[in-house]
Amino acid sequence: MRLSRSLAAAFGAVIGGALLLGQAAPEAARETPPPPLGTELGELPAGAMKPLADQACLHCHSADMIRQQRLTEKQWTAEVAKMVGWGAVVPEDQRAALVAYLLEHFGPDNDRFRPVAAQPVGK
Amino acid sequence: MAGMSRRGFLLAAAGAAAASALPIPPPRRRLLQMNGYPIDAETPLELLGETYITPNDLFFVRHHWNPVFPDAATWALTVDGEVERPLALSLGDLKAMPRASATCVLQCAGNGRALHRPIVPGVQWTYGAAGNARWTGVRVRDVLEKAGLKAGAKHLHTFGTDKPPEKVPPFHRSLELDKVREDGIIAFEMNGAPLPLLHGAPARLVVPGWAGDHWMKWLDRISPQPSAQTGFYMDTAYRFPKNPGEPGVTFKPDEMSPVTELFVKSNITEAPPRARVGRKATIRGIAFSGAPDVARVDVSDDGGKTWAAATLGKDHDPFAWRLWSFAYLPKAAGKTTLVARATDSRGSVQPKDAVWNQSGYFYNAWPSVEIEVSA
Repeated sequence: MRLSRSLAAAFGAVIGGALLLGQAAPEAARETPPPPLGTELGELPAGAMKPLADQACLHCHSADMIRQQRLTEKQWTAEVAKMVGWGAVVPEDQRAALVAYLLEHFGPDNDRFRPVAAQPVGK
Repeated sequence: MAGMSRRGFLLAAAGAAAASALPIPPPRRRLLQMNGYPIDAETPLELLGETYITPNDLFFVRHHWNPVFPDAATWALTVDGEVERPLALSLGDLKAMPRASATCVLQCAGNGRALHRPIVPGVQWTYGAAGNARWTGVRVRDVLEKAGLKAGAKHLHTFGTDKPPEKVPPFHRSLELDKVREDGIIAFEMNGAPLPLLHGAPARLVVPGWAGDHWMKWLDRISPQPSAQTGFYMDTAYRFPKNPGEPGVTFKPDEMSPVTELFVKSNITEAPPRARVGRKATIRGIAFSGAPDVARVDVSDDGGKTWAAATLGKDHDPFAWRLWSFAYLPKAAGKTTLVARATDSRGSVQPKDAVWNQSGYFYNAWPSVEIEVSA
């Protein structure tokens, strides 16, 4: 995957700094803190198309990006076509099934997405 | 690269955090995360109106893809194109130039996308993809003067170090030279601190009054040119309808033009859920615009038939937001809906409804809040 060294180094520094702070102030830990900013918060839902969706979509963005959408069949079809154009690998004969999977879980009638609290990092 | 996948890294990071008793922030001090990678996270609505200046760590984060953070020690800003003397300026070179500062709003063009109906695809920002900060650096016009800007240049092409994966088009942008020479800043400080990595360190563009797509992060090249940049992020994305249409009906490219100046907008950031007849209940909010200042904010309890003026906060700067408050005096028991409406210094008035567009830009409908009034 295309994780850049600089990104890893920078976040390593952020998290390393937080660890030191944590040791300095352990009494602050009364409840589970929210995850630090940049933590992947959810997976794509189970289903026959999950492996394909995982490999086609998660190279460039987390599952969260998909989980927050509530799109019609027409909109999902357009999104999949756009992403295939941008390099997502989805065999032609599986595109309809992928769109159906996305529509089932992330269609206009699914429950509203709620963003999750994340702990700020850095200053 | 580096032998660890993005997901593996994040899981390891999350595991380390959970195991290590991180210091707990006060419960309200948090961001609302939409996307784990690239990071997209907004400031909670109730925190937006608490302070005139948005703290750096609570400022919304919007990345198009996993960024490649430049090394400030070796970083240089290339200035080429229609100039007499192409330059490569180090951070030290920039810091040796005369400083300029601006306190102004940075708002993502897609802030409020989640509120458009019908629903549109994209990061589902609600209210908090906006913040007000003091940006310090050097004037773009000083840098261009140093390089000797040629007469034929009309657009400033801008480039950052973040590179897209696969065949995704690069985030290359341009904006009108007239605007960026007027008040554009190449900023290396944010609220008095070095610009954070998440916000484009070592330097980013600041374009007061204009949407965030012009504020190139991790800036490493500016290039004056006779014509505008082309590509997906100019010709397809970041465009807004010239005239409103029917909600849900997609606009064609020639029916749209690039998003530039922000639209006049207010938000209600704090309101009591309950109030009593005859007792004042204070609501608070923010207001800003692509015009240099907000002239007034008004509040209505009858759906916009009658309005009463809110009190504007004393802090203001060109293209910054104004805090406002309104002491509402309920006259009757029952559910009351209050709406707010900002008017800017050019006379533009916040509309009851936003203009629907397929990319979900510039949502600015009247904000509303419901208060339960008892006798």
